[in-house]
Amino acid sequence: MNALVLARLTLRARRKRILALLAFAGLFLAAAATARLLVSDTDGHVNADQLFLIGGYPAVSALLLMGWLLGRFPIIATLVLMAGLLSHDRAEGYARLYAVRPASPLRVYGTRFAALAGVAFAISAVLMPTFDLIMLGTWAGPATLVLILSYVLVFGGLVALFSVWTRADAWIALLLAVAALVWDGLRSAGVLAQVPAGARDVVTFLLPPQALLYSIEEAFGNIQPIPWDAFLYVAGYGLTALALAAVALYRREV
Amino acid sequence: MIELRNVTRIYAAAPGRGRVDTVALDDVTLAIPPGGVWGVVGPNGAGKTTLFALVLGFIHPTKGRVRIDGLEPRRYLRRHGAAYLPERFRLPPEWTVGDALLALAGLEGLKGTAAKERVGAAMERFGLEPHAKKPVGALSRGLNQRLGLAQALLADRRLVVLDEPTEGLDPLWRIRFRDVVADLRGAERTILVASHDLAEVERIADRVVLLEGGRVKEVMDVAPPATGPISYRLTLAAPSPAVAEAFPGAEAFPGAVAVADTGTPVGGRTTMADRGASAGAGPVTYLVHVADAKELSTRLAALLDAGAVVAEVAPVGEPLEERVRRALDPEAAR
Repeated sequence: MNALVLARLTLRARRKRILALLAFAGLFLAAAATARLLVSDTDGHVNADQLFLIGGYPAVSALLLMGWLLGRFPIIATLVLMAGLLSHDRAEGYARLYAVRPASPLRVYGTRFAALAGVAFAISAVLMPTFDLIMLGTWAGPATLVLILSYVLVFGGLVALFSVWTRADAWIALLLAVAALVWDGLRSAGVLAQVPAGARDVVTFLLPPQALLYSIEEAFGNIQPIPWDAFLYVAGYGLTALALAAVALYRREV
Repeated sequence: MIELRNVTRIYAAAPGRGRVDTVALDDVTLAIPPGGVWGVVGPNGAGKTTLFALVLGFIHPTKGRVRIDGLEPRRYLRRHGAAYLPERFRLPPEWTVGDALLALAGLEGLKGTAAKERVGAAMERFGLEPHAKKPVGALSRGLNQRLGLAQALLADRRLVVLDEPTEGLDPLWRIRFRDVVADLRGAERTILVASHDLAEVERIADRVVLLEGGRVKEVMDVAPPATGPISYRLTLAAPSPAVAEAFPGAEAFPGAVAVADTGTPVGGRTTMADRGASAGAGPVTYLVHVADAKELSTRLAALLDAGAVVAEVAPVGEPLEERVRRALDPEAAR
């Protein structure tokens, strides 16, 4: 199999989505550059107090929201690029053209996953450090890349798994991402104490490992050592989803 | 050998809409030996596409089993692959023709120069070379169908499955398609063709499976049998007295213009013994009867030795369209 040709064609078919993501990333960088030009302090940091004086609460809130969204950018990029990873092929009939050929579907879709995951990773890996450099004058180091990789693996794996079954693959993955955020928030607030421990553990196990993703994000935010044990669990979660997708792919009708 | 044994396929209805399940194939048993071209015909919804989907392992039978050379279809395909043209052939519209074929050649296991050569040959065979750089989405319907045929026949496969292969092709490419099928014929290669165009199926297929309501209604021979009495339409460039000797009992073909001794055209069924020769007249068609293909060859050789110029020899049988109509609607056929 000519993996390079297939990867190139995969990216060509996703060209519009890639361009949309690049435009979205450009918005972040434009906002950061504007803030830096308007309210940078002597250390080259964006000064939130000055920003408040200029734009009031809305300007500060917008900046905080952008910072929060930036942390989720790898999820957004992964969902946008991976949506329909397999389900689109089945709906359009392309999957049957691949299925009659003596090439393993794992190689076909593995190549496609790798190409799209690579692009999601690359865009995020350029955007996030650049944003940090503009806003803070420094970047968080390799923890940034580990955080991006974690998100790409977890949500890429989930989209791949759901894509074997339904066209709503990315939407379900997004729903799970939101559910995991809420669940983790409730857990941190101690609200889940009344939920039976077994049920709590099962839900925590099945949902994306938000608490561990946060621990990696904190390391990234505070420029601390990378929590490798958390990364290993997160990577294991994503790879397990991919393995389940592979098994389902062999059994699923096309 | 493709074997379907008591195969039933039911598509479950979407829940909560009061719809009933669809029985696409119902207890179908069929054995297709290797070699030859098999047509699959039938009305819309007869189960042609479902039959192909089962043979190629896209879907699983609800009951019964499907085997190709003794293997479960998906296992067979992983090992040997198949040439396949779907009914509505599509590729991602952003891909270019050349790159699409190159990618699919890669999935066929072809690499580097071999893949490029095979793609070049396929594009040449189906007249796609001038369109190599075009996006698939910009192709006309006919070109898209030619691309479909090109991608299906990229590799040399023993199982060829073509669903409505001439759909959208212009008359010239329909004729070329027949040549493609003729080139594909081989003792080990089984070609399955589904089509609503019965005249086309009659031209290319050896046998026809007629499906109706998910069941096999009839399996028909299209090609004249190698043994057994058969009639032929024999057209000579000019009348020859040798016909009467070579084919005793030969008649002027019904509806065709016969030529009398005088060179004057006459109608009706006239035996050759009555008419004799009329050298110098135009083409004339006879109805001749022989016991088998071997006898036909022997008698034709005698005719040619006697100086007759044969313009055409064609078996005479009931057109497939009539046979299908009779099978599907016996009342109307009467």
